[in-house]
Amino acid sequence: MGFHVNESQFDAWLTEQQKTYDIYAPKCFAGGNTFSDVDCIRYGKVNSISKIVFDQKSEYSFKEVLTPISQTLFFFTEEQCKEADPPKKGAIIFLRSCDLHALKRLDDMYLHNGPADYYYKRIRDNIKIVLIGCKHSFESCFCVSMGTNISENYDMSINVADGVYELNCKDVTWNQFFLDLGASRHLVVPDQVHENKTVVKIPVNLTADVARSSMWEQYNKRCINCGRCNFVCPTCTCFTMQDLYYTENAKVGERRRVWASCMVDGFTDVAGGGSYRKKNGERMRFKVLHKVLDYKQRNGYHMCVGCGRCDDICPEYISFSHCVNKLGDAMKEVTK
Amino acid sequence: MVRNDYIPFSSEILEVIKHTDIEYTFRMAFRGDVKPGQFFEVSIPKYGEAPISVSGIGDGFVDLTIRRVGKVTNEVFEHYVGDRLLMRGPYGNGFDLENYKGKELIIIAGGTGVSPVRGVISYFAEHADERKDMTLIAGFKSVKDLLFKDDFPYWREKMNVILTLDSGEETTEHKIGLVTKYIPDLKLQDVSKAVAIVVGPPAMMRFSVKGLLERGFREENIWISHERKMCCGLGKCGHCKVNDTYICLDGPVFNYTKGKTLID
Amino acid sequence: MDTNTAKLKKNAFRVTKERGLTASRVRVPGGHLEAKYLGVLQNIAETYGNGTVHITSRQGFEIPGIPFDKMDEVNAALQSIIEGLEINQEAENEGYPAAGTRNITACIGNRVCPYACYDTTVLAKRIEKAVFPNDLHFKIALTGCPNDCGKVRMHDFGIMGMTEPQLDPNRCVSCGACVKKCEKKSVGALTMQNYRPIRDAQKCIGCGECVINCPNRAWTRSEQKYYRLTLLGRTGKKNPRMGEDFIKWADEESIIKIILNTYDYVKEYINPNAPGGKEHIGYIVDRTGFEEFKRWALKDVNLPEKAEVMSPLYWKGIKY
Repeated sequence: MGFHVNESQFDAWLTEQQKTYDIYAPKCFAGGNTFSDVDCIRYGKVNSISKIVFDQKSEYSFKEVLTPISQTLFFFTEEQCKEADPPKKGAIIFLRSCDLHALKRLDDMYLHNGPADYYYKRIRDNIKIVLIGCKHSFESCFCVSMGTNISENYDMSINVADGVYELNCKDVTWNQFFLDLGASRHLVVPDQVHENKTVVKIPVNLTADVARSSMWEQYNKRCINCGRCNFVCPTCTCFTMQDLYYTENAKVGERRRVWASCMVDGFTDVAGGGSYRKKNGERMRFKVLHKVLDYKQRNGYHMCVGCGRCDDICPEYISFSHCVNKLGDAMKEVTK
Repeated sequence: MVRNDYIPFSSEILEVIKHTDIEYTFRMAFRGDVKPGQFFEVSIPKYGEAPISVSGIGDGFVDLTIRRVGKVTNEVFEHYVGDRLLMRGPYGNGFDLENYKGKELIIIAGGTGVSPVRGVISYFAEHADERKDMTLIAGFKSVKDLLFKDDFPYWREKMNVILTLDSGEETTEHKIGLVTKYIPDLKLQDVSKAVAIVVGPPAMMRFSVKGLLERGFREENIWISHERKMCCGLGKCGHCKVNDTYICLDGPVFNYTKGKTLID
Repeated sequence: MDTNTAKLKKNAFRVTKERGLTASRVRVPGGHLEAKYLGVLQNIAETYGNGTVHITSRQGFEIPGIPFDKMDEVNAALQSIIEGLEINQEAENEGYPAAGTRNITACIGNRVCPYACYDTTVLAKRIEKAVFPNDLHFKIALTGCPNDCGKVRMHDFGIMGMTEPQLDPNRCVSCGACVKKCEKKSVGALTMQNYRPIRDAQKCIGCGECVINCPNRAWTRSEQKYYRLTLLGRTGKKNPRMGEDFIKWADEESIIKIILNTYDYVKEYINPNAPGGKEHIGYIVDRTGFEEFKRWALKDVNLPEKAEVMSPLYWKGIKY
């Protein structure tokens, strides 16, 4: 059902939902950026639609709701392991079409690549999705190239118009709520972009042979292996296990998993000193080919959703989309 | 509900076999299906987890041969018979013995690389009738780095064993030289049907496979086992991914036709 | 030719080596101005001066070659700049009312520089508003971070931006970038414990390298802006010396109050026979003792709880 609602009507719905859900959306963390007096837009809990940032892209994605940056798996004492509690509430997540496509990648990784992940599933089973319509594309977006610009599998969509929020609601209970609220009914289709300024072409003949290309060498020096590209990516899922003890009681501690980055030193270190991909160019190649080659070979569709966050965040101005667009020439180089 | 694969079980140390100063085999209580070449995530709370391959399988136990090279393994070495370690697994595909049955079999293993194939060697030592001629080329750095010393006399009875050390004096027990040195002289009835397993450090595997191919082995008749960082063993953490392959799920044992395509 | 040179100097003109010619000294607090004022300066230089402009070492402009009898016209021509830069003035079209307290300089600050912890120009202008006009010889400089590109330790009052890094341990991915960068580029105030950085607050200089290098917004800047206040650096003939740390983790209010208090202190203790009525504050402090200076400087100052006041202070420098 389609509705037009005002701020107070929408907030009435949010208030109702907060009885059972935490609401996560892109919001402004004042002064939260690297540089002073610059804000950071990233995901956080909101209690009013006025707190949701609709006119900018979040620097970091929604994935931290489903795969917390640092997630305690269990606590241990000398004798036993006690599983960490799940979140008390479910989650309603506001996200854009690219990110909703990223959710499918998270699902395939956590639920279908090997056995289903217990900790992911117990959060995943209790989420609902509000799709944020995109009136226009941002500078670095290339969702159209990746085929992620349109999404259907949401519980509700929201377009922001002048003083009005246009909703397309698929959830029966929510529909009833808005009807009871007296919200006016309209035909609503989520805003979609059909064109991006950034266009990416993944060569159809791309193979792992492209690893031999000289194109990766420039990244040896340009890349500083900070991992920002991985941390902002809505489809990067790697983590590392950490055991820690509580300093106040050394016998008690926890095992947690923490986001990891294939660009950062130590990612491949094996006990005894061995490691792989020492050069930053090799790490760049590993990451890029995962997004536009390896993943597809395993799952049948590309991993990258074209959100462009990696381009936006790179302090060294390394553009992922630009790199992907060089793969065609690189294939020519290695196959001649 | 989905099972929580991350919570380990507790297992008692039944026996500790000391090979070298830094390499012990811990015989761990375990009942369940397990294959040579598979691995467990062994952990000690507060120190963390480490993937350790299975070096022996028996009634009610698995052997884990552990090299003392990191935070976790250092701590494991502080544990004794009767103590308990946390484990989860087994993970990985392991060696499928069917691939080698009824064939001439060459196993080339270097250093701790002997651990994952020890189960294969032992099986075909005991079931000599299930294969044709078998040669083991085992390489270690020096006498003090020798693993599974007690196994060798028995293995020598059952198969052709070439034990070689990188350096030192040649004796009746062992030769001196890299494992690759012995590949050209391997006596084989039909190299086109012979099968080989190569496990060890990356460079050793690369040159051994090269030697086997030059000797006439077919790529599809060679198996290798990879070692990578693994935090989960469940295809999730991403550390062991190479190309489209997760070593922990799809490996660590690969037929060379697949293994050769893996570019780190 | 009859000209009152004291009056001329106070009006921000200079007695130059060329008889009858002066130079107009234009102050630009915080060193940042709208480009349109460059056109005004060009016009003055070409109309009244010799067609050149000198960029001064204190981030002002000096327009040389102006005949003494054109000073009134130059003052009138300067009016748009004085107003535009919001310089305190006593009478319209009469130029600058003082020159003793020098232009307040600043590095480019956080309008442009990624390292800067605050908007140096805004604070420079705020201080300018509080202290100017004044005939006393005060040199005040601001810099955005402990890199001290503004060379503030060469000034009576050096104001260096600091941030108190805040760690959200739940966003930390244990990459170690902060620890490495603090060690290599700063003071090594961070160590890793239990996979998370621990900050030695005593060592930390508030440079923000940890924040800048954190890839996941685990380290962020404190909402409150802090400053290191360095004291009584100077150049000069007798005893040039670097300013010493006086207060770490100070706030803007306190700094301004301390500067104003110092004017009172100097008025009380300046050598009445000082040549040209100018005496570096440092020499006065040498005479009265640091404790007396501190008593005056900190009068009615409410420092933030975090502030650390160093006392007593000793200056080294070169003595001739």
